[in-house]
Amino acid sequence: MSVVGLLFLLMGAMAVGSALLVVTTARLVHSALWLVVTLGALAGCYLLLGAEFVAWVQILIYVGAVVVLLLFALMLTRAPTGVQTGLTTGNRVVAAATAGVVGLVLVTVVVAGFGGARVSVDEESVGSATSMGDAIFRHWVLPFEVLSVLLLAALVGAIVLSRGRASSGEETP
Amino acid sequence: MIAVHGSVLAQEIEIESPNIAYSAIYPILIVFGVALVGVLVEAFAPRPRRYVVQTVLAAAGLGLAFVGTVLVAGDLPETQNGLARGGIEAEGALAVDGPTLFIWGAILLLSFFSVLLFAERRLESGVTAFAGQAAALPGTEAEREASTRGLEHTEVFPLMLFAVGGMMLFPASNDLLTMFVALEVLSFPLYLLCGLARRRRLLSQEAAVKYFLLGAFASGFFLYGIALVYGYAGTVTLAGIDGAITNRVGGDGLLLAGIGLMAVGLLFKIGAAPFHAWTPDVYQGAPTAVTGFMAACTKVAAFGALLRVFYVAFGGAQWNWMPMMWIVAALTMGVGCVLTLTQTDVKRMLAYSSIAHAGFLLTGFVGVQAATRDSDDMTSLVAVMFYLLAYGFTTLGAFAVVTVVRDSSGEATHLSRWAGLGKQSPVLAGVFALFMLAFLGLPATSGFMAKWAVFTSAWAGDAQLLVIIAVLASVITAFVYIRVIVLMFFADPVGEGPTVAMPSVLTVVTIAAGVVVTVALGVAPQPVLDLAHQAGEFVR
Amino acid sequence: MPTAAAASIFPRLTRMDGYYGSYVPVLAIIVVGAVLVTAMFLGNRLLRPSRPSPEKQLTYESGVDPVGTGWAQIHLRYYVFAYLYVVFAVDAVFLFPWATVYAGLGWVTVGEMGVFIGIIAVGLVYAWRKGVLAWT
Repeated sequence: MSVVGLLFLLMGAMAVGSALLVVTTARLVHSALWLVVTLGALAGCYLLLGAEFVAWVQILIYVGAVVVLLLFALMLTRAPTGVQTGLTTGNRVVAAATAGVVGLVLVTVVVAGFGGARVSVDEESVGSATSMGDAIFRHWVLPFEVLSVLLLAALVGAIVLSRGRASSGEETP
Repeated sequence: MIAVHGSVLAQEIEIESPNIAYSAIYPILIVFGVALVGVLVEAFAPRPRRYVVQTVLAAAGLGLAFVGTVLVAGDLPETQNGLARGGIEAEGALAVDGPTLFIWGAILLLSFFSVLLFAERRLESGVTAFAGQAAALPGTEAEREASTRGLEHTEVFPLMLFAVGGMMLFPASNDLLTMFVALEVLSFPLYLLCGLARRRRLLSQEAAVKYFLLGAFASGFFLYGIALVYGYAGTVTLAGIDGAITNRVGGDGLLLAGIGLMAVGLLFKIGAAPFHAWTPDVYQGAPTAVTGFMAACTKVAAFGALLRVFYVAFGGAQWNWMPMMWIVAALTMGVGCVLTLTQTDVKRMLAYSSIAHAGFLLTGFVGVQAATRDSDDMTSLVAVMFYLLAYGFTTLGAFAVVTVVRDSSGEATHLSRWAGLGKQSPVLAGVFALFMLAFLGLPATSGFMAKWAVFTSAWAGDAQLLVIIAVLASVITAFVYIRVIVLMFFADPVGEGPTVAMPSVLTVVTIAAGVVVTVALGVAPQPVLDLAHQAGEFVR
Repeated sequence: MPTAAAASIFPRLTRMDGYYGSYVPVLAIIVVGAVLVTAMFLGNRLLRPSRPSPEKQLTYESGVDPVGTGWAQIHLRYYVFAYLYVVFAVDAVFLFPWATVYAGLGWVTVGEMGVFIGIIAVGLVYAWRKGVLAWT
């Protein structure tokens, strides 16, 4: 086994292990923090697979921003943050079975589809920022611009839903 | 996608900058542009003026975009031996062809009338039917204060325009990536709009949360499906996937799993069983204007996308997905019809009815009947597009009627409150009865022509069994619709009986448009059928 | 595992070029950092005396006894700050690939990026006018 293969296995094990902790831990905040580990380990996997840019996006956006958003969302609620036994319900066996079956099916599908595929990460910089830039700004311009519309719509929506008393800071006509 | 584009780029290096033909896609740009202006209006216009400015802006923008669509349709080049018209635009992201433009036209017309419903102010004595202040908790002092001050969220207009833009992109997408972005753009504002009702806010917020959670889940399925299809074909463009399927490049497992997962995402938006569970709750909880908008426009957009993906990209694997779609279509009709029978709430009844109609539409979709040169056969595409337009106007009109029947707590949506409506307001009850008959598919209404078109194409496309199921389902739902008519005209009102509030001209125009289209498409459907025929097939 | 394959990858890792090679310093820093932190904490634990008392277990708040729990419900409006952060993180992330192709594609990409940022800026203007950005 090569060093890269070993590192990949390590990252994969970390991702799966911490993902299990995300769903099994009895503390909501711990769950969010374990998610950081999961997403970070996934970023490591991406990096090792040659998807350089996606790996850094994963770290900047998901670990950096989305988890923060998640923690903010947790802090908005009145939910207690200590150990909560009620989080794990009697459905856990069914849920675990479903997750297991879905995982099995997806792994089978992916292995059947890409079993023998080989990608050389050294020769082509397929996942670099340059090739991404080329793709985005030449071929995917329209979806890229529409993404900003999506962000804007979500921002307007978030403000509509959250803006408190209209008097606070609101301009008066 | 990166790998593929890396190699494609190497060959096409002479193309320096992206080539966007604005002359073909400007209707979308108009809608998004007006939405942006709407956000700026929210930011800078003084509060009392916003409502008028936003309403006029939204209606004018949609009208302008409709005119633009007609103009674009006027000079579409013929391709594929005259079978299709149009071309691939925006670096392969959009297919602007006959069906796209027909669907754009339908969406723009329907959303124009939805704007009028959104803008209705007289029914709530001077304010719109949207929450005065969404952040104020239901039943608190802050909510009462917002209500007394007559606050209203005029942001609903730009949000709705964002959704319309997404709906236009969705069926026009020529690659799966654009399609996914479009799906999100159309869904996000809808999630928000669902939670902004002025009355029964908890129900409305519950609807929004349910719609958001299930919708996000369905989007996830759709995205996973895209990933697997990309894994199979090595490209996300629809034509590329079609080529990969024709050449049988990889293992079928990836492709089938991908098709299945993508179908979940699309069928969710359509409201087909077994992915329909959100429909009644969301349709009931959302502000009725939003419900009408969703029932009419989302269905058009999602069906357009479903048709494009499955006909253009997955057409070669037809025999693989056909059994799945058969089952879904039959199940959808069954669930829709049987559960419509048990409803006691008008909005829920209309929701289940929309599920049943999704089943009828799927019948047309499953009996794939492709066009041949110079033939006037009823193709699946023509039938489904005609059905979408007819159903859209009827359902929008029906929901508009629901906004008008009120009691002291707002809309009186419980069916028992509708008893004796015919005595109190014969015109309104007559209009609603007309919509019911159109849903039922009575001759001389648009519903009959639509069902006839769909069943004809499905019958010719060897889906006879499904047509028989569909006819049986229609017979079952007839019971519901006729029961409502009997209730309105022959039952005695319970207690005080319903009151019909006099709406402003906005709602009246919307209802009138529903009536006119329902009758016109029933009596003289030929011009619209011809139009759908002229649209031709999807470009590839 | 065939040893030939391992041999062909391992030398590449030790060289400082190639895709993986360029990440060897990153890996080295992570490893050194982890080792350092572990060593310091371990050294600390080995050398320090350990006499816990209830007072020492309290959360340190500048010498004042802490009041209440550490967890408080925050106001809804802070969520918008977090969301604005996400929006601009996404925005910034697209600037990296843009910067790499800007030289080759020229002003067209400036326009494309300008539209993208412009649309988001509309959202920022809206947020500003609604008083969301005011820290009250």
